[in-house]
Amino acid sequence: MTMAALDTNTPVMEHEDTRDSRRLGIWLTLPAQILVLFIAVFPILMQVYISLTDWSPLDGIGWWQAHELWNSFANYSDLMADDRFWSALGRTVLVMAICVPVEFLLGLGLAILFVDDFPGRRFLYSVLLIPMMVVPAVAGYMFFMLFQSGGPVNDILSFFYGAPVTIAWLADPDLAFFAVIVSDIWQWTPLMFLILLAGMVGVPEDQLRAATLLGASWATRFRTIVLPRMKTIIIIALAIRVIENFKVFDNFYIMTGGGPGVATETISIYIYKVTQQELIWGYVAAVALVILIALSVVSAIAIKRMSRGVSQ
Amino acid sequence: MTSIHLANLGKTFGSFTALRNMNLEIADGEFVALLGPSGCGKSTTMNMISGMIEPSEGEILFGERDMRGVPMSRRGVGFVFQNYAIFTHMTVYENLAYGLCATGVGKAERERRVNDMAEFLHLTALLKKPAAGLSVNILQRLAIGRSAIMEPAIFLLDEPLSNVDAAFRAVMRTELKHLQREFRQTMVYVTHDQLEAMTMADRIAVMDHGKLLQVGTPIDVYNNPSNVFVAGFLGSPGMNLIKGRSVASGEAMCIDLGEAGLSAPLPGALFRGLPEGKAVVYGFRPEHCELTDDDGLRLPVNFVERIGARTILHMGQGGHSIKGVFDNRVPVRQGDIVTLAIDPSNIRLFDADTGAAIVETH
Amino acid sequence: MNRSLSFEIFRYAAILTIVALSLVPTLWMASMAFKPIAEWSATGADLTWWPKSPTLDNFRFLFGESSSDLIVALDRTAARPILASLLSAVFGTLIAMVAGTSAAYGLSRFGSGGNLPLALIQLRIFPPMAVMIPVMIMWAFLDLIDTWYGLALVYGIVTMPFAFWLMKTFFDDMPREIEDAALVEGCSRLRVFWKITLPMMRPALASSALFVFILNWSDYLIGLLLTTRDWVTIPVYMASLSSSMTGQLYGAKAALGLIAAIPPVVLGIAIQKHLVRGLTFGALKQ
Repeated sequence: MTMAALDTNTPVMEHEDTRDSRRLGIWLTLPAQILVLFIAVFPILMQVYISLTDWSPLDGIGWWQAHELWNSFANYSDLMADDRFWSALGRTVLVMAICVPVEFLLGLGLAILFVDDFPGRRFLYSVLLIPMMVVPAVAGYMFFMLFQSGGPVNDILSFFYGAPVTIAWLADPDLAFFAVIVSDIWQWTPLMFLILLAGMVGVPEDQLRAATLLGASWATRFRTIVLPRMKTIIIIALAIRVIENFKVFDNFYIMTGGGPGVATETISIYIYKVTQQELIWGYVAAVALVILIALSVVSAIAIKRMSRGVSQ
Repeated sequence: MTSIHLANLGKTFGSFTALRNMNLEIADGEFVALLGPSGCGKSTTMNMISGMIEPSEGEILFGERDMRGVPMSRRGVGFVFQNYAIFTHMTVYENLAYGLCATGVGKAERERRVNDMAEFLHLTALLKKPAAGLSVNILQRLAIGRSAIMEPAIFLLDEPLSNVDAAFRAVMRTELKHLQREFRQTMVYVTHDQLEAMTMADRIAVMDHGKLLQVGTPIDVYNNPSNVFVAGFLGSPGMNLIKGRSVASGEAMCIDLGEAGLSAPLPGALFRGLPEGKAVVYGFRPEHCELTDDDGLRLPVNFVERIGARTILHMGQGGHSIKGVFDNRVPVRQGDIVTLAIDPSNIRLFDADTGAAIVETH
Repeated sequence: MNRSLSFEIFRYAAILTIVALSLVPTLWMASMAFKPIAEWSATGADLTWWPKSPTLDNFRFLFGESSSDLIVALDRTAARPILASLLSAVFGTLIAMVAGTSAAYGLSRFGSGGNLPLALIQLRIFPPMAVMIPVMIMWAFLDLIDTWYGLALVYGIVTMPFAFWLMKTFFDDMPREIEDAALVEGCSRLRVFWKITLPMMRPALASSALFVFILNWSDYLIGLLLTTRDWVTIPVYMASLSSSMTGQLYGAKAALGLIAAIPPVVLGIAIQKHLVRGLTFGALKQ
């Protein structure tokens, strides 16, 4: 008896301690878990349910009774044939394909200019970061004003052209598309710049000097030392912008409302408009769900590959 | 291979003078160590030789060639950095081949030279390995090989051993000296560690506060320091330096050392020209004194430091602090009063005002 | 590196050009905010870049003073939307920080909630628009539509990933020896967290909270979806700043836009050091 008690004594105390710690750990993470459950898990289950019905808030029945309007997978087959959805999706990808590379190259170029010290560097750096801190919706209002036909953009063009220019930027589909892209690039190039500069400053200076002393030109150094050492950071910067750009809504919606027609309608604007104007929420739930599933799959693959790349 | 000539070299950063009026000739194939405490200008000198920074004044010649305006990529200088600056995102092979690739050497030639160098440095088995995570002596060899493969005219080494464990430094020193003999390169080695400088260099250049103080072989600089700084900096512990005043004592000349008493007569031949009453610094190495029962400097022992083979006595009173190195069986305890005899031939005198050595006047 | 004079000239020219371009929109808005109505809607020829007769009328108008020039008075002043933005952003930040910080500590020290990192990244990847439909239904059901606390709750959840990741990297960086020493002294785990860890983390908590606040303050879409009248946020309210008589109230919009833009710009520059860490989910520390 005594032996047994002695034997288990110390381990029990240790056990108690780790169990206490574990219990505290669970308590500490509980609020976060509940919030995630509250906005991710439960709503998505609800979304699955509604997406299989024709429910709308105007039907006068609660969402929990939506099964009365059960339509099987009609929403999903409608979605396949919904040209406006597919064109919004395509446009979102197109915006991404234009904005992200342009922002990346501009950010990289700026980072190169800022990587070593010069008088005024800190001040100019702070000034360059201002656009990304402006509330995106406010940026939308700003660019809405800039691109008015009597606005400053036309004023500058008039100055160079020599005669009054009165382009109705936001009324023409192509020009409106151009304008919203400009606003996105204006706002988010600083983000690329910020991250890429942080990465570039982290490249050890001795390595660059060593390469120079071995006869490497600036371009060779950039290709063989700077870029390889920044690989992870570049991937992170691009990933962040791709993710954020896919969600783009605020400045686009405020500048053009997705128009003229559907010329600047991204996937977020599309979902919003269908929710607000057409009020067929069962269908919107299906659209949103398809997007969520597609994104989950893509991001899961990307995260897996990225974490493998980072650990290397 | 080439010689290096530094003439009136100087560098100022704003109002701060990092180096002034440096003149140094480094011969072909010579191994010179720039030695001094941090901030003495040794790294500035090296960075100017490599072309990383431009001199404010003076000139640098490699052989006959003026280096003014020659960019660092075209100086043909091999540089070994303090942290070796190995490209850790590449393999050992890619590191060795880097300079050849960058300067457009053909593939066949490149492969041959990399393999030769790897063979020479015993790196052949590691060629395919990533350079990250190699041990420090391999990194040193790789850093030297990466530069040596470009057949540089001169080699600059910037404190390459300062990040190495003390226990391993002796091994690295031997290896480095061995490599230098094999390559027969002109080498400039920057260090604050006198042991490295003494053991490896053909000549030592001692620097302090942006000034070159003395150049010479290790033994010469150690035996005949040209001023008080060099005397105190070299040796471990450094030379004892006691302020005093010359006084005539009959035929001979002695130094009045204040509370420590009067020194033994100076060897007449050596200090014949010394005027009486001159303020001097009286110097002798801790190894060059012994305990005596006769006349000598009478000093209290403040502390006995026993370090294995040797025992160091910390002596002195008032403003003096004198150290003596004895064998480990010296029969002295803390608090004893000892009498110190100093071999007159090992005494060095310095001018108390300028710090410069007072040498024999004929 | 080798800096030639021509490179320096190119550098300054390029940087100053880009700085000028990037400042135009902001400065245009700032200038517009101080322009009297006569200078608002000018057409190309007589457009004014700098207010000729600067005035504070736009700001006065926002807060209820009727303007004889505009012939209109606001039926609702900008005070309430500013309060709405402030309350929801502040309390949203509070929720995000409390939940995010404690979860980050739990994961960093006890390895609890191992599912959270990935779940929170996923949550961040989802476009809010795609998650909001069921939330709108739930909020209607719970009577949280058009309340500042309903909005704050969503803000808290949406920005919690940032609070969590930022604080997790700060906790991971903190040496554990200090906590261990206190544990050896006999303090309980919770007491150590409360009395030692959190006070030490004060600067980290402050910059994380400011970062999260900027994100919440910058929201438009969630406010658009979840508020209708009483508690609309600033950007939602801005859309209503137009009248049938005078069209867009540019000056008033610009004035309010300026008010909305100043806090994040000031705070953002204040926490510049931690922006990279925040934006990259702690993957990169500057």
